[in-house]
Amino acid sequence: MFEEKLKEFEPIFYPKSIAVIGASATSIKVGSLWVVDLRSAGFPGLIYPVGSSGGRIGDLEILPSLRLIPGEVDYVIVAVPRQSALELLDDCAAKNVKAVHFFTAGFSETDTQQGRKLEEQMLEKARQGNVRIIGPNCIGVYCPEHRIPLLMGILGEDGSVGFISQSGGIATKLVTIGIARHINYSKGVSFGNGIDLDASDFLQYLAADPKTRVIGAYLEGTRDGACLFNTMKEVAKAKPLVVWKGGRTEAGAQAALSHTGSLTSSAAIWSAMLKQAGTIEVHSLEELTDTLLIFQQLGRGRGIRAAIIGGLADGGGGNSVAAGDACMENGLKIPPLSFETKQELSKLVGEVGGILCNPVDLSQAQFRGLATLFQAIDSVVRDTVSDVVLIQEDIEILLPIYSRKGLEEINEFFIELAKRQNKPVIVVLPPGSVEAERLQIEQKLLAASIPVFCSMERAARAIYRLNQYYCWQEAK
Amino acid sequence: MVKSQNLLTEVESKELLKKAGIPVVEAKLARSKKEAISISREMGFPVVLKISSPDVVHKSDSGGVRLGLTNATQVGKAYSQITYSVKQAYPEAQIDGVSVQTMAPPGVEVIVGMSKDPQFGPVLMFGLGGILVEVLKDVSFRIVPVTERDAREMIKEIKGYPVLQGYRGQKPASIPALEQLIVKVSQFVEKNPQIKELDLNPIFAYPDKAVAVDARIILE
Repeated sequence: MFEEKLKEFEPIFYPKSIAVIGASATSIKVGSLWVVDLRSAGFPGLIYPVGSSGGRIGDLEILPSLRLIPGEVDYVIVAVPRQSALELLDDCAAKNVKAVHFFTAGFSETDTQQGRKLEEQMLEKARQGNVRIIGPNCIGVYCPEHRIPLLMGILGEDGSVGFISQSGGIATKLVTIGIARHINYSKGVSFGNGIDLDASDFLQYLAADPKTRVIGAYLEGTRDGACLFNTMKEVAKAKPLVVWKGGRTEAGAQAALSHTGSLTSSAAIWSAMLKQAGTIEVHSLEELTDTLLIFQQLGRGRGIRAAIIGGLADGGGGNSVAAGDACMENGLKIPPLSFETKQELSKLVGEVGGILCNPVDLSQAQFRGLATLFQAIDSVVRDTVSDVVLIQEDIEILLPIYSRKGLEEINEFFIELAKRQNKPVIVVLPPGSVEAERLQIEQKLLAASIPVFCSMERAARAIYRLNQYYCWQEAK
Repeated sequence: MVKSQNLLTEVESKELLKKAGIPVVEAKLARSKKEAISISREMGFPVVLKISSPDVVHKSDSGGVRLGLTNATQVGKAYSQITYSVKQAYPEAQIDGVSVQTMAPPGVEVIVGMSKDPQFGPVLMFGLGGILVEVLKDVSFRIVPVTERDAREMIKEIKGYPVLQGYRGQKPASIPALEQLIVKVSQFVEKNPQIKELDLNPIFAYPDKAVAVDARIILE
């Protein structure tokens, strides 16, 4: 699907050479930052700084014009005021540049006729000169595999999650949260006003890209709704597509009612479109990253029947009750454990002071040692009534009981368990008063491909969405 | 009153819908009291009379609708009353006559509508009739073209879905018939881009079929 996009977009995500317009040796300009960031990231291609100041950035000479670059230029980053935009596009066409990214702002987003007119002229020039435009008003491309960082040199590990974002700020958050939570991107793009290449183009590319297995999108609007709808339909058939639509309004609620037209609200229409296209709609950055994380870690859904271990030590009772509510309210099914499992648990931890149905509270295991706790967890995971197991690990309760060493053993056991059992194990690490330890454990579990969330609600919602996608696709 | 040259009358709208295979309660235009009576006899009582005017959108608000007329005398009287009260309410309105149709037996009331979204083009809406759509805004949307699966999902998506499955002795509505109707409306608006808005309100859904009782089409 969309295989032609791979070749077309190669100069954008894997350029052999990048020119940065607006570089300066003396002042700290965004253009100079880009040059420095590309260098420090280890970008493997050629970098050409262009600017009127002359001089050097490191060992790179700043050339006064794009036209004076000796070799070929695949990709151009523009960080000079909009007044130069048209002339620059002439230069790009003359140099046979494949794509140009305008960081430059001040176009249609200012809602002025001047801004809109300039965009039209730019587009016309780009079409004539056979140059593709990314933006304007955006931070452009991110490709860790090809060592292209985001603005400010932000660069995470290479992975399998692709993203598109109309907003540069959201693109940055996606990457920084990704670095913190081991969500590793194949590539991403912030495309701003999207006057030439827009959401549909990049979605098609990511659908074709063999490195990308799941796609996240942050959108605020579209210039061509029909094209976006049709593209999303096709893309969602190939890969999970998680979409956060920003700028949802309450237009629907205010609409007058006796009339068909007035019942229409843009937020409701967007939701309907996203559902009809087979995408997964989310409503916040939190939900978007949670959903991308679980797709990355688990690949596909195995079902929504969950076994919940609400507590491993003191205070597990109320937390287990709350965990049960959180999971059911977010769409999961909580089947009772089998008779055999209950018997085994009662032998292991005793009947008093715990909860041996589902959710399970294994608080009493703390008086019988870690080996017993592990046996009990193992027996819950083995029970075939569930498709997935959620374990709440409250670090501030466990740390004083088991000490650091015990905690380490517990988490090693989770990692070993997840590898051994053919069933997803998901760990919930609620934030509390021992954040340093909690974050350390989170990193360790995430690195071992165990999905980690900070609340049962978020974990349950992510599991539900993972399965929702596969149910929807299979029901086709 | 909405002055609109582009508003098709109920009779015109239903003719187009019928040709497109969308089940409607057929309506005929009567230009006189005499004609109204003879059409009623032909169709069989009870009948419904509605004002037929390109200028009147909300027919019942101006006394332009009479239901459950069981004989010729009632039809004759209703004709005079309808034309009189609409003239009172809208002296400027062009009145073509009244539409005559058989009185459909009660069913579950639903509505299907189409409007054009500036970003996504024609969008279909589905909802239950009456208070559920007006007060609770319990409606679902899908972009045209709407497949059978989309139609099924949009029917099941509304909170009032259990009402369609029958409650308190009311017979259930045929979901497949509603699906078919929605898909046909989608095909109809896809083939006719000059339609700006469409309203099938109400549709009566029965255990074996669904029929549009009133219909309205506005052209671009």
